[in-house]
Amino acid sequence: MKAPLAPAPRDADPARDVLRRAHALLEDHGLANAAAWKRDHPGRLAVGYMPVYAPRPLFEALGCLPVAVFGGGDRDVIRGDSYFQSYICHIPRSTLELGVSGALQGIDAMVFPAICDVIRNLSGMWQMLFPDVYAAYLDVPQNFRPEVGGAFYRAELERIASDLVARGALALDPERLRAAIVTENARRRALLALGDVRREEPWRCPASEAYAITRAGGALLAADHLALLGEYLAAIALRRGSPKDNVRVVLTGAFCEQPPFGLIKSLELAGCDIVDDDLQLGLTYIEGDIDAEAADPLGALVTAFLERGAATASRYIGDAHKGDALLARVRRARADGVVFAAASFCDPALLDEPMLEAAMDEAGVPYTSFKYAENTGQFHVIREQAGAFSDAVRLWESAP
Amino acid sequence: MIERITAGIDVGAGAVKVAITASRAGDAGRVLASAVERIRRREVHELTARLFADVCRQAGVEPEALPYVATTGDTEAVPFATGHFYSMTTHARGALFLEPRARAVLDVGALHARAIRTDERGKVLTHRMTSQCASGSGQFVENIARYLGVPLDDVGALSQGSRAPEAVSGICAVLAETDVINMVSRGVATADILKGIHVSIAVRLAKLLRSLKTQGVVFVSGGLSLDTGLVDAVRESLGEDRGAPLEVVTHPDGILAGALGAALLGSYRHAQLERRARAQADAAAAVAP
Repeated sequence: MKAPLAPAPRDADPARDVLRRAHALLEDHGLANAAAWKRDHPGRLAVGYMPVYAPRPLFEALGCLPVAVFGGGDRDVIRGDSYFQSYICHIPRSTLELGVSGALQGIDAMVFPAICDVIRNLSGMWQMLFPDVYAAYLDVPQNFRPEVGGAFYRAELERIASDLVARGALALDPERLRAAIVTENARRRALLALGDVRREEPWRCPASEAYAITRAGGALLAADHLALLGEYLAAIALRRGSPKDNVRVVLTGAFCEQPPFGLIKSLELAGCDIVDDDLQLGLTYIEGDIDAEAADPLGALVTAFLERGAATASRYIGDAHKGDALLARVRRARADGVVFAAASFCDPALLDEPMLEAAMDEAGVPYTSFKYAENTGQFHVIREQAGAFSDAVRLWESAP
Repeated sequence: MIERITAGIDVGAGAVKVAITASRAGDAGRVLASAVERIRRREVHELTARLFADVCRQAGVEPEALPYVATTGDTEAVPFATGHFYSMTTHARGALFLEPRARAVLDVGALHARAIRTDERGKVLTHRMTSQCASGSGQFVENIARYLGVPLDDVGALSQGSRAPEAVSGICAVLAETDVINMVSRGVATADILKGIHVSIAVRLAKLLRSLKTQGVVFVSGGLSLDTGLVDAVRESLGEDRGAPLEVVTHPDGILAGALGAALLGSYRHAQLERRARAQADAAAAVAP
């Protein structure tokens, strides 16, 4: 491992422009983009949705712009706090704050996929607080037999589609859905290519950048996100540099409320290469292509959810062993350890964590754990913990 | 045994420290060259690059020939680094190099202080930090010295000459600074004010150390390790608090502990990576037809 060949000057970074655009989308939660899109497509609907997974190809096939509403980030929460007890996570507060402050005025419908009771309650509150906005709780099956969970999930999708059509969305056309699935598959493959670069050459694609580029897709049509991803991948291929001797970690538990950008950056600065994470799990939730050739594309969307949904805390895994999926990710990423990062009071993540930690103990995979809120502003303690973890794993081959 | 020449760069809040060491597996290692420069509102990337080049020249090594350049502190200031170690890890290793008997480190830098308990390899066993208040930091001492018109280098000796130290708030830098202004108006001797400041910091540092249940030798590192008045005050505080006796030591190169530790850990890590690469190659050769 040779040291110093000076890298390209920072202002000459080939990815600078594409990253700037991605960050601009993140900073206003994609709302300016949604407003511009609506100006260009009069009468069409912008459909907001919450974590983890939403059937974006269905929304696109209905002529809608899906917009990920993954909380208000570090925005001040004033009124949102008054609706929730102190032991509730932060994402419903900041999302409600976005709503009551009028920031989501351009969002014509809100879909709340089932993840936990807090989000289910939020969907009810949305219906009461914003009666003019369509708000739907998307219940997802935990029984994955086609005749049971499949029929139920299809009915859910058809119900929401029909409600959106009644509010101005285009009629559900199988060919449009098929085209949306083709684009979604292409976007997913581009995200996997991004994941490959992160695993093979993490110096070329820091997790903080991958996160920005991935999350920007929550505010874009799949085709536009695909273009952004292509541009970023081409730009980072031009970067000069060399591998760093960092600890390789999988970050897990952050699939719903998103950690602040500074937290991801802090982990990197503490010597961690985050070679895999579940931060934007929804965009790669379906593992493998959705069958775009199927005679019934809505059925293909349902089948993909039933058969190839990612193992995460909000999905029942039956008799499978909790932790096997995480261990497989650790092995695929050739990770040295795991960072469990869960939002404070996130029941799905925190209830899973002891089982996942036990699985890591059993497999001899070192890990460290901490909690955050989307508006956490001080990262010193987390950086200290991650730094100690990184050093202990590399130098002493154990967790601190 | 191969002698590895490696570099450590410690970019702190107040100063940049660079060290180049030569070490073999199992030996203590030696310092080939080192330098410390205060940042003083300069562009930290440029300062670090220039200081690194100077130290390489002093050591007679080409930067590109160094197998491992380790950073500690602000890693973003050193884009050409091979790897990064966290500051408590490097201070622990640097302390062990400068004082092989050390089993605890008090790292007192510009922005915070940290007590670290270590083992005989320099592995961090546990640690505690001061809170976010500046009252336990070098920046605080620097501010007080500036208010009093005392050159920073003279602070330690002046404090050691104090006969009647004045009590200063040890909780909050703002309150302490108000205390100091009142003392100046009351005509309290500069030496007694400085000693009061040192005592207020030392009491906090002693509590940090005691909370770790440290034993034996404590090494004071970081920029304030050069402040003899503070080191004396730490010894006095630990002597008065009825805890187990601790020997407090420092070294003229205490400020370089982070950079030295980074360089030595870089050497250790490089050897470790080479061993692993050899083992992997051997394993691959063993399964090859």
